[in-house]
Amino acid sequence: MSGERHSRKIFNAFFYSFAGFLFLYSAYLFLSNLDQLFVTEAAVKTREITNWGEDREILNQFAGGFWKDPYFWKSLNLTLVITLITTLIATLLGIPTAYALSRYRIPGKSMVEIFFSSLMVMPGSVIGICLIVMFNYGPLWDLQNLLGFKFAHSIFPGMVIASLVLSFAFGMSAWKATFDSVNPRFEQVARSLGSNRWRAFKTITFPLAKSGIVTGIILAWTRAMAEFSAVLFFCGTFRELPASRFSDFTKFLQMDQADWVSVAVWAQVEFGNIEYGFALAFVLVFIGGISVYVMHRIGAKGYVW
Amino acid sequence: MDLRSRGGWWPALCIGITGIILAVYILLVTSNWIYLGLHDTLYFFSKSRMWERFWLTVWTATVSMSFSLLIGIPAGYALSRFRFPCRYLFASIIDLPIVVSPAVVGAFLFGITTRFPFDWISEYYGIYIGRNVYGVLLVQFTVTAAFCARLMKASFDMIPTRFEAVSHSLGASPSRTFFKVVLPMAKNGIIASMIVVWARAAAEWEGLMLFVGATEGKTDIMPFAIYLDWNGGMMGWVTSMSIVCILMAISAISAMKIIGGKSNVW
Repeated sequence: MSGERHSRKIFNAFFYSFAGFLFLYSAYLFLSNLDQLFVTEAAVKTREITNWGEDREILNQFAGGFWKDPYFWKSLNLTLVITLITTLIATLLGIPTAYALSRYRIPGKSMVEIFFSSLMVMPGSVIGICLIVMFNYGPLWDLQNLLGFKFAHSIFPGMVIASLVLSFAFGMSAWKATFDSVNPRFEQVARSLGSNRWRAFKTITFPLAKSGIVTGIILAWTRAMAEFSAVLFFCGTFRELPASRFSDFTKFLQMDQADWVSVAVWAQVEFGNIEYGFALAFVLVFIGGISVYVMHRIGAKGYVW
Repeated sequence: MDLRSRGGWWPALCIGITGIILAVYILLVTSNWIYLGLHDTLYFFSKSRMWERFWLTVWTATVSMSFSLLIGIPAGYALSRFRFPCRYLFASIIDLPIVVSPAVVGAFLFGITTRFPFDWISEYYGIYIGRNVYGVLLVQFTVTAAFCARLMKASFDMIPTRFEAVSHSLGASPSRTFFKVVLPMAKNGIIASMIVVWARAAAEWEGLMLFVGATEGKTDIMPFAIYLDWNGGMMGWVTSMSIVCILMAISAISAMKIIGGKSNVW
């Protein structure tokens, strides 16, 4: 009997050790880089050699003094507002699409499912290039010339489009799985009792699928926050652009001369402002950690990419 | 118009939105073909530079997938079966490398490789993990290991614990139960997840930007080469390589759907 308990203990320890390895690796990866936030003497010297067009003395403070820099707050504002708009659009378009794919007979439905699933393992650079080629050549380019504004390298249509592509695909697959798990029989009963299709959806399927819909919304928002490549390819950076390039509306929303946060991390680290870049990276890790913790708490199953 | 047809706008709206969205997404993915044309596509496909990069992508993704599976299968089983305090916090920290943007993970890897296990490895074994193909493997492993554990957790969750309880009651040891009962039942899910993990590893490039950098023919796996050639202004290479990446992703997911018919992770 004690031998059996012993073997059970060894068995559990074996499996725990692998999960523990992943945990320690991830925790070490993020926590060991906390010292990157402190400014070293060498970094200050290098920064003196680089010729800054403006006063960047702020960068020699702890973590690049990011909380004093309006660029940080503008970028965070920009990212949060754009991701919220993206999530809203993805929800409004995604729930009907998921419902149609789950309930109605659509020719080639399995192909459509394969297509949307394959977007999740498609490289971000491919998505970015596809967006560039789609909007900057051919008929859509002529249309933009006709309308007088450009989709690429702009905040308002551009960033929303770039973050919407994958956000929509992820949210849609989660909502589709939710609608698949709701028994269509309830809706058929409601229909046989005389309610119309919209009412049957609104009063029967929607309340039953509510928790899954909330999960999909959180997932779509998290994916929009994690977007990097599509925004980098399609929109680029805005910080160095002149103020005249931005409309009064973006200035009013405090979004001018600001970047998508994960693109800003890349740009700052490439420029050599390691402390500032890592401070932004820790902000992103914090936001992502909270959203994934919420997802685990409310029991989202396998829907993390 | 009777009472029952009054809500008919709802299915029409659903199907209409689906049609528009499908049209936009299909235009998005096929825009490369339309831009490049068949003749130029065949020209770029016949170049050896394309296939060198393709094989580099394939073998790095395969190696990192193997390492991820070695860690991911037991870790996924532990996450699926064991109950312990703070397990949501624990699972969230495991998931962090896949929820934050991979570019940020690249920045963190850039910081970690000068530290304890990595400096030790480079000093005693002469394996430098950084601006070479080992760096590519490390980035792919970091991003896919947690992803693999998630997928494995999902496929082990689908197996009822009842079978294990029966096996225990008949006197089998835990490890015998795992190898004879759980693994055979999870086989389809594991193979399906394996394919997805491979495709995800082959799609990883954001981490390479900060951490590995570009060496022609050594570290430029295909998604990263797209970025490099785009910066070089070589639109023909860029579009033809994105066609290859799209085909890789779609064929991997089709294989996954064919093999793991019941795997509803996605």
